[in-house]
Amino acid sequence: MLEAINLSKTFTSDSVDYEALKNVNLEIKAGECAAIIGKSGSGKSTLMHLLACLDTPTAGSVMFEGADVSTLSEKECDLLRNEKFGFVFQQFFLNGQETVFENVVLPMRIRGATQYRMTQNAMDALEAVGLKDKEEKRAKDLSGGEKQRVCIARALVGNPQIIFADEPTGNLDSNTSEAIEDMLFRLNKEKGITLIVVTHDEDLAAKCERIIEMKDGRIMVKDE
Amino acid sequence: MKFWDLIKIANRNLFRARLRTFLTVMAIFVGSFTLVLTNGLGDGLRDYVDKEIKNTEGANVLFVRKKIERKGEQLNPDEPVEYKEKSQDEAGLNIDQDTMTISQDQIEVLRNEIPEVKTITPRYWVKGEYITMNGAKKYRVFLDMLSEGVTQKVEAGKTIDGANQIMLPLNIAKAYDENLNNLIGKTATVAYKVSDKTAEIKTLQLRIVGVLTKGMIANLRSFVDAETAKRIYEDQNQQSDDLNQFSNLTLQLNTGETQKIAAVKDKLDELGFTADSIADQQKRAYDGVAILQIGLNLFAFIALLAASFGIINTLVIAVLERTKEIGLQKALGMGRGKIFLLFSFESILIGFWGALFGIGGGIVVGNIVNIFVARTYLESFEGYSIFVFKPLSIFLVMLLVCLIAFFAGVFPAFRASRLNPIEALRYE
Repeated sequence: MLEAINLSKTFTSDSVDYEALKNVNLEIKAGECAAIIGKSGSGKSTLMHLLACLDTPTAGSVMFEGADVSTLSEKECDLLRNEKFGFVFQQFFLNGQETVFENVVLPMRIRGATQYRMTQNAMDALEAVGLKDKEEKRAKDLSGGEKQRVCIARALVGNPQIIFADEPTGNLDSNTSEAIEDMLFRLNKEKGITLIVVTHDEDLAAKCERIIEMKDGRIMVKDE
Repeated sequence: MKFWDLIKIANRNLFRARLRTFLTVMAIFVGSFTLVLTNGLGDGLRDYVDKEIKNTEGANVLFVRKKIERKGEQLNPDEPVEYKEKSQDEAGLNIDQDTMTISQDQIEVLRNEIPEVKTITPRYWVKGEYITMNGAKKYRVFLDMLSEGVTQKVEAGKTIDGANQIMLPLNIAKAYDENLNNLIGKTATVAYKVSDKTAEIKTLQLRIVGVLTKGMIANLRSFVDAETAKRIYEDQNQQSDDLNQFSNLTLQLNTGETQKIAAVKDKLDELGFTADSIADQQKRAYDGVAILQIGLNLFAFIALLAASFGIINTLVIAVLERTKEIGLQKALGMGRGKIFLLFSFESILIGFWGALFGIGGGIVVGNIVNIFVARTYLESFEGYSIFVFKPLSIFLVMLLVCLIAFFAGVFPAFRASRLNPIEALRYE
């Protein structure tokens, strides 16, 4: 479903080149639950950004459902992310002033969906994360765990094929972390959504079907 | 994202930073308020000129003055002015550069030189003393002459069309009879002093043919026909050295064709005169108002320009503050164009709210001033307003303010649209 072929990324700052990703090959199948782990600077975030069409590779290509994503225009990339991908971030990135509903519905709004469709999807997504009764609450009034559940609902609302979770439990205590992890795995199992988790937490990674360990811009262990 | 959603979200974003938005809107408010008032003042003036000059009509008429032409002679305090002999030109016109008056001989030359001339009425300056009707109350009268070919709009009756006629201003007419039509055809007695030096008074019996419509000039003056004016003029100036020396003439032409009138103007120019049609005079009046209005509006415009920097500042801060939010929106698939639009709408909305309150405030204040002024100072201004607010002008003010706001928003909106989502999400 998602494939990296000879993927390289070089950052240039002050005319000094830094190779963040070196010739990475990777294939992720539909419905898979994969963890990309590694120390900071190992290139795991860069790999995720490239896979998620948030950045363009210096060399190589990313194939999504057989199509080369790196040749897409910016607009097509925007559309792809909006319709096929969901994102969960460590820092939540919720709009505290807005209601839970507004936060969840953002990808649908960006898409230009009808009000009816937005409400339907948002309700389903909120139900899936167990926050159906909190739709009118302001996001800033929620606890950390609830916030991350709102983020998961937001990632879920557009019925994506892949959810990218970047350190989803990095800001949470261990109990809450577990609940969030379980929720993500459940979604992966029940809805068949491909899950790609980027983390440096080995406990979290161990719960995934597959661990992709990164070091110095290369994949260390491919498949356990 | 849908268009309407963008506007709604833009508005919500503005209200998130309430104080900052309020202060920026206030700056726009002040600018729009001023612009609405200055523009309203100009429109009021234009309205006034409109009503005033439209009272005088005459398609085939040219007002003629001597041309002031002193070639190469500037008033330079360092150099004495050389005296020039009076020139005698081919037409026999005695063009004396040092006097502005036109003599009887010159009038005759004009009559002979220009075949299109039907009548020439010199401007007879006359002074009236009082007016009365059948021993009724006497009123001060300000006499003016209506040249042949020129007509005045009337409230009742008709304009002057023969000798021994008079048109009354509304106030005098109403004092004699509330029903103006009763006055038409009746005789009024007009008295004038023969000379400033003696108390000798002569009277004339004039037939009332019309009552003038409301207007600043018409409210003051009584118009008499040229023949009557000439009689009074000759009585009043028989001792004067300046008898039959006129400052200007009214030419009535036997054609109304624009091209022929232009040809007559050229001919007059050659002969050393300048000529204006009523249309020229109207144009000059409108041009004057337009220049005044532009001048006034310029001040308001400068205030708006200053306010637009407030918008830029507000939005630049908003972009910095919301870097992560923008990053998220971009990550979730919101395109550059939409981000640009979102910030543009925020900018336009600041302008819109400022303009809305500014225009509202301006109209309220303007109307209060109108009522106040009408009550206290300008009784004769009845029917006129200091500030006139026309829907089109209001709409244009709104459009201009929104446009200025939009342009102010271009830079911050562009910055927002160019943010890299990855860097924006990482931004601390």
